[in-house]
Amino acid sequence: MISKKDNVGQPILSISDVAKHYPIREGALQRVVGHVRAVDGVSFDIFPGKTVGLVGESGCGKSTLGKVVAGLTDPTSGSVRYNFNTQLVSISSLEKNKFKNFRRNCQMVFQDSFASLNPRHLVFDIVGRPLKVYKEVSGYDLVEKVVSLLNQVGLGREHLYRYPHQFSGGQRQRISIARALALNPEIIILDEPTSALDVSVQAQILNLLNELQKARNLAYLFVTHDLSVVRHMADSLVVMYLGKIAEAGETQAIFAKPYHPYTKALMDAKPSFDEGQNSKAKGLEGVVPDPARPPQGCRFHTRCSLATDKCGWEVDDVVRWLEDTPGMFESLTAVERKSEFSAVLSFSDESSAANLKQEMRSEKLPASMRKALNKVNINEKNVQIEFEPVEEILLREKDGRHAACIIEPKKVNQEA
Amino acid sequence: MMLDTSDQKNFVAKVDDLKVYFNSKRGTVHAVDGISFDVYKGETLGLVGETGCGKSVTGRSFLQLLPIPPGVLAGGSITYNQQTNSSQRIETGSKPGFPNSRNFEFKKVDLLTLTGEEIRKIRGDSIAMIFQDPGKSLNPTLTIGAQLSEVFLQHRTEEILEMAGLGSEAPGAIRRFASQRNRIFDKWLVNLSGNRLTKSRVEKAVADLVAKALSDTQVPNPVKLMDRYPHELSGGMKQRVMIAQALACNPDILIADEPTTALDVTVEARILDLIQDLQQRRQTSVVYISHDLSLVRRICDRVAVMYAGRIVEIGTNNEIFKNPRHPYTIGLMKALPSADTARGELLAIPGNVPELINPPQMCRFSSRCAFATDKCKNQDPQLEKVTNSHSVACFADVAEISGK
Ligand SMILES: Nc1ncnc2c1ncn2[C@@H]1O[C@H](COP(=O)(O)OP(=O)(O)OP(=O)(O)O)[C@@H](O)[C@H]1O
Ligand SMILES: Nc1ncnc2c1ncn2[C@@H]1O[C@H](COP(=O)(O)OP(=O)(O)O)[C@@H](O)[C@H]1O
Ligand code: SF4
Ligand code: SF4
Ligand SMILES: [Mg+2]
Ligand SMILES: [Mg+2]
Repeated sequence: MISKKDNVGQPILSISDVAKHYPIREGALQRVVGHVRAVDGVSFDIFPGKTVGLVGESGCGKSTLGKVVAGLTDPTSGSVRYNFNTQLVSISSLEKNKFKNFRRNCQMVFQDSFASLNPRHLVFDIVGRPLKVYKEVSGYDLVEKVVSLLNQVGLGREHLYRYPHQFSGGQRQRISIARALALNPEIIILDEPTSALDVSVQAQILNLLNELQKARNLAYLFVTHDLSVVRHMADSLVVMYLGKIAEAGETQAIFAKPYHPYTKALMDAKPSFDEGQNSKAKGLEGVVPDPARPPQGCRFHTRCSLATDKCGWEVDDVVRWLEDTPGMFESLTAVERKSEFSAVLSFSDESSAANLKQEMRSEKLPASMRKALNKVNINEKNVQIEFEPVEEILLREKDGRHAACIIEPKKVNQEA
Repeated sequence: MMLDTSDQKNFVAKVDDLKVYFNSKRGTVHAVDGISFDVYKGETLGLVGETGCGKSVTGRSFLQLLPIPPGVLAGGSITYNQQTNSSQRIETGSKPGFPNSRNFEFKKVDLLTLTGEEIRKIRGDSIAMIFQDPGKSLNPTLTIGAQLSEVFLQHRTEEILEMAGLGSEAPGAIRRFASQRNRIFDKWLVNLSGNRLTKSRVEKAVADLVAKALSDTQVPNPVKLMDRYPHELSGGMKQRVMIAQALACNPDILIADEPTTALDVTVEARILDLIQDLQQRRQTSVVYISHDLSLVRRICDRVAVMYAGRIVEIGTNNEIFKNPRHPYTIGLMKALPSADTARGELLAIPGNVPELINPPQMCRFSSRCAFATDKCKNQDPQLEKVTNSHSVACFADVAEISGK
């Protein structure tokens, strides 16, 4: 027998180095021409009775990770291990019965209630289905059980025999939550569960989730982009950027002092209610880069206002810059790479080549990028470019906090 | 002319006792049940309230975009104070009617009773809407570039001619073509007296403008995006295309129904900047529908709080957020998670929104209100002024509520 204390120390789910790559297919033969690296090496643990918050921009891989964790899709590499009687077992090696047991204990509530609720099924069937499949209750009891589940999420008996389209977006999300609760799971993966809800219902749902958590020692993986909600709900926080963890640690500590510029940027983009009328939201410049070709060094360097010359400036940054500069991209004819950091760019005319060379040293490019530039040589229509190569910037631990950034936390928080 | 000049300044739209019902098997759903409010020129009016309380239905009413049936317009009007350029001058031919020497006048129309043809002219032109669900509002058969080009050609003619170097000396024929509302982009171009150079210059100008509008909304690779079809885009991308399209129209009124709900916080901040730019440029009035109170607090001049098909409180930003008077408004704000709320102790408003089927004569919030009295269960409170700009529909003693 293990002591109670040991039990608390054991995760219910352990995610280690999980990656999920989706093939990109093209052409008539649907040949694989590359991979979207939706999740690219992510590790963390989920403990019973605790909530892990997962935040990040759309497309950064949160939902994909959620699906891998729930066993709805297999990871490309790495493993998700589930705690079967104190033994951590990889869910991909589970035999059928045990996997079924895992699935029943690990439920998921999806982001898009339109897509996840069958439009042809009545609410009664939607919420009652898992109970029927697992032969929990039947007949009159089933009706009563479904009604009680509906009541728990703020709906009632009058909603039993309606179709999803007869509800507003918020109401549909409550139906999804009722369905997930039906089998008394141990873990619920909540993918933006309250994003479509108004605050009073959100408060009910968050309180409800919290009550259920306490009563049943439920573990949550709470995916959201609402920082005030994760701050309220999550014990620990995982901040993802482009398939990787940018920062992870204890929630309150991260809010008090983010160690990663991306975390800081997320916070600045959404002032909380208390900050009032004149608070200014600060958007983040640029777009999330293509996850099929994630940036070198630090994946955030293309948008980071604190980026240094050591952050991974590369040939792709030049290409990205050309893409956004009307007129220039059209005259780019080829990019011959020696490495991610060194290439020859060919243009259709000499003036474009000359133009690029000039711009590469101009203030139009970030100073840190110019500093990382070792070489820019022109030869007729070709421009040779070489950056200082850097290794990938990995997660580092400091005071129980993990952050993948080379600059000091103090500096991250200095900037106004 | 029969213009009331004081009115003219006051509002661009006046919603008066609007009632929209939905017939269902179980009875008539009073989705919007007698609401009145003004939209002032250049302001941002927030419309907040619980899901299903009628915000989207209200917004859609402005453009006759309700599904009728099952919907029924059960009463009321939406007066649109339309600023039009006087076409009489051109017709009487006293002077050539160049658009930059327009003569404005105001024309009041009831948006609810316009014919299909008339409302189509207004839709996407002087009144634009961004939908909560972006899927349905883009044309699935046109590329993103093609549908945006159409909109730009209709609404930014001057700018395009300018960019194409055809500015002031553009011949009248081109101008007339430009301001015409031809459906298809190509047709418009072909008609340009066969002038290939002019054609390619205009084409380029439109493409540049479209690319700029798209990149303003931070979609990745705007140039490539223009060749794609709506079904190839993610929800967030469609939403941004729609935003670019709505902003391109330079509307008088923009109805934004949860325009950023599907977007990232980092993009949201940017979109709000774009909307504010438009407002400054064109004095556009924005009706901003949202359930995000912190956002509404940040961007709105005035706020209307809806509950169960009614407006229960309306006032300036400060009045609503610093001095809320209605128990529902107060409840909403207490329900927000703030930095120091203990977990599980959010002050949720108990209970649910009542069924909107044949609602009885009583305060619709009374089943959930901590201050409800017998009177509340027997009479239906109406909006009454507390200050010139602040109205509340509640019988209770406000001091007692805020004192608590
Ligand atoms: N096509 C329809 N048929 C029947 N009822 C409808 C229809 N559209 C809306 N309703 C009903 O009208 C009421 C108001 O709906 P509306 O979409 O305006 O809500 P909302 O305030 O925008 O909510 P949300 O915050 O979820 O967007 C709801 O009770 C809804 O169920
Ligand atoms: N089934 C799929 N096939 C191909 N690419 C996918 C699939 N699902 C997601 N992706 C891609 O993986 C990345 C991460 O997606 P997702 O996990 O949904 O992000 P998030 O939930 O953070 O918004 C995105 O680039 C997305 O386009
Ligand atoms: S390592 Fe840190 S400073 Fe450098 S780009 Fe990444 S987040 Fe910015
Ligand atoms: S009228 Fe009565 S029930 Fe309605 S909000 Fe006011 S106090 Fe509450
Ligand atoms: Mg997602
Ligand atoms: Mg709505």
